[in-house]
Amino acid sequence: MTARRPLIATDRAALMLQLVPYLIGKGEVSIAEAADEFDVTAAQMRAMVETLTVIGLPGDGGYWQMANDLFDIDWDLLDEQDIIVITNSVGLERAPKLTAREAAALLTGLQLARAIPGVGDTDLFTGLLTKLARGASSTPADVILAPAPVDAVRDSVAEALQRGVAVSFTYKAPDAAPTPRTVDPVKVLIATGEWYLQGWCHLRQAMRTFHLDRVSDLELTDIPIVHGADPVPGWFETGTGDIVARIRFRESVAPLLGEYLDRATVETVGGVSTATMHIADEHSLRRLAARRAGLVEILEPESARRAAAAWAEAGLVQYR
Amino acid sequence: MPANASTKNPPEERLVNLVVALVATEQGLTKDTILTSVSGYREQTDSGASKDALEKMFERDKEALRRLGVPIETIGDWADPDDLREARYRIPTAEYELPEDIVFTPAELALLNLAGGVWSESSMSADARSGLRKIRALGMAVDEPIIGFSPRISLREPSFAVLQQAIEQSRAVTFGYLKPGESTPRTRRVQPLALVDYEGRWHVFGVDLGVNADRTFLLSRIVEDVAITRDAFDPALRERAGERALAGLNEVAARSRALLEVNPGTEAALRLSRRALPADQGIRVPYVDIHIFADELASYGPEVRVVEPAELRDQVIQRLEATRAIHGGAA
Repeated sequence: MTARRPLIATDRAALMLQLVPYLIGKGEVSIAEAADEFDVTAAQMRAMVETLTVIGLPGDGGYWQMANDLFDIDWDLLDEQDIIVITNSVGLERAPKLTAREAAALLTGLQLARAIPGVGDTDLFTGLLTKLARGASSTPADVILAPAPVDAVRDSVAEALQRGVAVSFTYKAPDAAPTPRTVDPVKVLIATGEWYLQGWCHLRQAMRTFHLDRVSDLELTDIPIVHGADPVPGWFETGTGDIVARIRFRESVAPLLGEYLDRATVETVGGVSTATMHIADEHSLRRLAARRAGLVEILEPESARRAAAAWAEAGLVQYR
Repeated sequence: MPANASTKNPPEERLVNLVVALVATEQGLTKDTILTSVSGYREQTDSGASKDALEKMFERDKEALRRLGVPIETIGDWADPDDLREARYRIPTAEYELPEDIVFTPAELALLNLAGGVWSESSMSADARSGLRKIRALGMAVDEPIIGFSPRISLREPSFAVLQQAIEQSRAVTFGYLKPGESTPRTRRVQPLALVDYEGRWHVFGVDLGVNADRTFLLSRIVEDVAITRDAFDPALRERAGERALAGLNEVAARSRALLEVNPGTEAALRLSRRALPADQGIRVPYVDIHIFADELASYGPEVRVVEPAELRDQVIQRLEATRAIHGGAA
């Protein structure tokens, strides 16, 4: 279940303006399904529907509105079966235009979806861009993703996924020797311009995530995938290694460490933070330390601390 | 008729009643009519609330609805447009509703569902879901979901939402910007025109009013809150701003190319070769921001050597020296 932030009156008003066309389009819908669609609890959905029945056209000259001037629902169905049906409607039947932000959020999402080979052609995208622009109540802010470079490995992985066959490739993990792999592709994760293939690794006999930049000599096989329905790891479920690392940095530097800190325990005293985390491989720490030169100090393990100094020294030797 | 319409109806009830009333009217309703007939105001008028307070409430409600994208039109006195005493208010259906002739095909809807799911933990995620809901309420058939791909855009910078709002409103902003190598942020005054994700980092593109020229700023270097000023600019400046920003960044990348020597088989070779152009000796790699590129090159330690430019080489050496020093110096 997604986290639900508290709704303020204008949020609730915005939802109700969307609720009427939704209910009319559905004809008949359960409280649970509607609550799910609107990201609210069942109790909140019931309250919105009940509120709807006191909304209607203005009363004439101070008189109360007549029943047919108000929205109405089938109360028996709601009370007995938790089902919502609108029986009288006084307007708002068609969905409101998108706000500039709603349009921008979808337009930007489309730019990312467009980078996926085999998902929609240019006509489909162009058509959608025009429709979203016309469907917006004001001009959305330009939120642009620089297009990803064309990449043969990505094309082939997408094709393997769509055809349901295993792929074979050479994988070069950081600070490890290259290994040949055969993998049943299950899912491709795309984040900040990087592609990750998740799938069943025949070598490790388990689900694994592969960074596509580290993949070479990729070929499609004729082996049909057999582990396609197995559960895949979630987004970057890392941070489960045996090595306990501690790093120290000024609190203001934290944003530069990004997802590194997602699974760390951070303590801050007087503007200086210390993060403790579990990692699988301490080699990555010296790379992090050099990237955030002088701003991040490795405290533990001691071997990683020494490795960082040696790493920097080895780099410097080249310039003497 | 409602049995228990109290004088304290929840505000969302009043807001939605106002929308229903203003959509239903062709010629518009005057403020007086609204305050005495629309439920939510009517009860308060009846119970003797001051007209002044009710008018203020109406003004606030109008603003709240406009922020939701509801187009409330004011029809003033044709002889004196500034005289709003007899003004009429309405919501033109054609501008409120999704146009009747916008039809989404099943394939388009499947693609939109994928596109709407890319935002993780940000206000953009709620906006995308809300937009999708409106489109889905049109009740059109949708293709099977596109599976096998999970694209994500992450948005960690708090300045993003404020900048986006300033762009929508075509208003200038000020923010504290910390250039690498400087110890204190400097305040910039900018007309923001577009937000651009380039090489996995968010930038804002706009006119820097301090130098009166187009500039691109990294969101991660905006270290103080962005403030939206009252200074509006011509929205025409926003036209094709995203394209101009991208072209600018590409031009910088084409101009700035480092000559590097990499050790084969290493992490540096793997990561850099993908973006490299072959050179007589080593590889040439384009970059947009010398500091960010120096950060990356420093992380490779002994795996890469910068041949030129000298400025980049110095930046990398500085980082390696700082790394060595903080970890106890050379063994």
